[in-house]
Amino acid sequence: MRALRAYTILFFTISFAPIAVVVVFSFNTQRSLQRFTGVSLEWYRQFFESESLRGSLFASLEIALATTIVATTLGTLLAFGLVRARARWTPGLNVLMLVPLVTPEIVAGVSALLLFTQVGLRLSLLTVVLAHITFSISYVTVVVRARLAALNQEVEQAAMDLGATRGQTLRLVVLPELWPAVLAAALLVFALSFDDFVLSFFTTGESPQPLPVRIWSAIRFGVTPTINAIGTLMLVVSVVSVALAVALPRLLGRRESGVGVLLAREAA
Amino acid sequence: MDGNQGGLTGDAFAARALLPGGLWLLAFFAVPLAIVVALSFGTTDDLGGAIYGWYPENYSRVFDPLFLPVLARSVGYALATVALCLALGYPVAYYIARFGGRRKNVLVALVVLPFVVNYLVRTYAWVALLADEGLVNGVLGTSVRFLNTPYAVIGGLVYGYLAFMILPVYAALDRMDPALIEAGKDLYGSSWRTFVHVTWPTTFQGVLAGSVLVFLPAVGDFVSAQLLGGPGTYMVGNLIQQQFFGAEDWPFGSALTTVLMLFLLGWMVLYLRSAARAVRT
Amino acid sequence: MSEEAVRFEGVSKRFGETVAVRDLDLTVARGEFFSLLGPSGCGKTTTLRMVAGFEEPSSGRISLEGRPMAGVPPFKRNVNTVFQSYALFEHLDVRGNVAFGLKRRRVARPEIERRVAEALELVRLTGRERARPGELSGGQRQRVALARALVNQPAVLLLDEPLGALDLQLRRQMQVELKAIQREVGITFLYVTHDQEEALAMSDRIAVMDAGEVQQCGRPQEIYERPEKPFVAGFIGISNLLPGRTEDGGVRLATETLCPAAHDCAPGTEVQLSVRPEHVVLDRASGIPGTVAERIYVGTATQLIVELDGGARIVALTREDWEIGDRIAVSWRAEDARVLR
Repeated sequence: MRALRAYTILFFTISFAPIAVVVVFSFNTQRSLQRFTGVSLEWYRQFFESESLRGSLFASLEIALATTIVATTLGTLLAFGLVRARARWTPGLNVLMLVPLVTPEIVAGVSALLLFTQVGLRLSLLTVVLAHITFSISYVTVVVRARLAALNQEVEQAAMDLGATRGQTLRLVVLPELWPAVLAAALLVFALSFDDFVLSFFTTGESPQPLPVRIWSAIRFGVTPTINAIGTLMLVVSVVSVALAVALPRLLGRRESGVGVLLAREAA
Repeated sequence: MDGNQGGLTGDAFAARALLPGGLWLLAFFAVPLAIVVALSFGTTDDLGGAIYGWYPENYSRVFDPLFLPVLARSVGYALATVALCLALGYPVAYYIARFGGRRKNVLVALVVLPFVVNYLVRTYAWVALLADEGLVNGVLGTSVRFLNTPYAVIGGLVYGYLAFMILPVYAALDRMDPALIEAGKDLYGSSWRTFVHVTWPTTFQGVLAGSVLVFLPAVGDFVSAQLLGGPGTYMVGNLIQQQFFGAEDWPFGSALTTVLMLFLLGWMVLYLRSAARAVRT
Repeated sequence: MSEEAVRFEGVSKRFGETVAVRDLDLTVARGEFFSLLGPSGCGKTTTLRMVAGFEEPSSGRISLEGRPMAGVPPFKRNVNTVFQSYALFEHLDVRGNVAFGLKRRRVARPEIERRVAEALELVRLTGRERARPGELSGGQRQRVALARALVNQPAVLLLDEPLGALDLQLRRQMQVELKAIQREVGITFLYVTHDQEEALAMSDRIAVMDAGEVQQCGRPQEIYERPEKPFVAGFIGISNLLPGRTEDGGVRLATETLCPAAHDCAPGTEVQLSVRPEHVVLDRASGIPGTVAERIYVGTATQLIVELDGGARIVALTREDWEIGDRIAVSWRAEDARVLR
């Protein structure tokens, strides 16, 4: 038991160490990644002064936002259909929805690239958004579906029985019970899109490029603290999104936390 | 008329809800995959443009002695990654599940936290550490060539996908009845034998799930190999990436992609069958 | 206004291969407390759902107050349902729940307040307007569900085994209250239950259902004292069902005894002779001979299970002291026995 505990502590140290190093050295006064000579915001300054890097940051945020809005809408509707419809093609659609989750990213990237080029669409922010949406829908569907399946259908029937049309039932009865799952899914999609590299790599245009693609290009040229700064910024966005996804549902008065909502996907 | 109008189960309504998402996935996911397969049978013209047709030679090229080592290497690295993730991750999952107590959820969150960071940034972190002018060399005062070795690449892969092993294994361990371990200790005496005969078999499905979740993405990975390795450690992902962004041989790249896809699909199906069988027993 | 609250004409409902309801012909009168009684799976809940509008009949016609309801969605029908799970809106308080239907109809604010207060008073929940469903007990939630439905003054109130989740004492109490409420508001109640005592106690008329078909429909007394089918006799109360063959003037049981009974069947027909335990007369000697096999004390009396010499078993009710193993003889008046096929 003590050996295990020691090992676990060691494990945590080693798994946080690289990230800690990245963050720490982003504040380094000098260019070195070996010696820490003092605290400075030089590299952040360079980042924010670079118009193209700023452009990439905003591009990543815009892409993430657009992806979140569309994927959450489509995914929620899809979850509805999969849980409630008794159409012949529902099982097939279910499979179609699950496959993107297990598709290797490189396969996803190649297929997206081919689609856009063969159709004649020029690669740009739009193509990145389209690709991101495609591979985010499934995450939303899985999370929302788990919550939806747990809802008591009789409550919706009661609403209709009392005179609410389908639209009103949706708005007044279902949505209040569903929104924690939808919110958690949306934040998850935001984080995934903002962090995405492979898909963006294959579908991005010349400029602006999403931030992870910029990091990739920069690393090819060599390691500099500016990259540390970019990495740290990205880290903050990711961690905050995921933390919100986990904490918000609980904070806003629901019984379960986002973890429960997100992990209900195990059941699905 | 046989339509159920209970709640929002109205077939018409729910079926309509399926449409936007379903059509999108069809158009932007299913169709592109078909295009990949279609192009994989194509060839290039003199200018490097792609032509569709029936040129199955692409597939024999995939298994050409020139590229076979790359494929084998990818599978090998991925397997090594799985083994290491299992060896490194299982003990942590075990500790948290068995001895985590009330702080279990916090500990799991901490384990997962580093992996919430962008994969690229995480891999970059190792580049920064292991580079010739990196921190490790700086601290040790040496200039050992860490990068551009299989070890670095596998290390990067392990660091990239470790969480995918830990979470399912932890879930399996957490679900296990602790009384089983007590009973095992009574029966088998030593902790080790209890583990081998009781804990491991019970959590095997979790191990299997974690292995699949690590193996599948690892095979197709190209980030670690590119950043932490070199031409000697190229994986199939790098090969594919090159076809599209360097060699401009898109049909061949498509063939490689299709082969990769089918290979992974095969393992997925095997895994799902085994999991389904496990649920039944 | 039509005297018929609900009319079923040849209504059937199929789910794929299964027939849930078969050729239902029933009329529920205005102001009636009408029960659909039967075991699980007999089609009673499906029937209720068809009236509410959650299912459409596969064939036949349902009319509400004389108007056909084919194709009319639930939110346009003048009926309200009390669900088995109550189906309260957890995110609204009691007032929000009860006012829900009125708000959908855009009733004026002051009117809503008045009617909600009335409804809550009717179900004796005044003062709990601000409570959330999560804070209420099972019995209170049930009352909210009732108030929520009644406040809209529907033509018919549909109740789907509303007392199923309550414990025995509370259930008995609610049965009395429900009956009183129904009499007070005068709304037609269509009540679904599998509990025959409940149905007998509360209903003006009962339709006993089995396997999708109505076995018998009538007033509680008729159903109990003059069952027309073996199923009804067996389902309502306890009944002894003895197989035998008809002869002139009676039924010859397997024990070779000829029991006098009124019937209009051809001689030799296979029938079941039905006798209620309370009509069985016990004696030391005169009657069909048998041995006491079991004694079950039920509080108000003792149930005796008598193993007849011919092999059949009879349940009888007695206040006398009989022991297991005693020799005993059973008999009954001819008019207390019914011949059923």
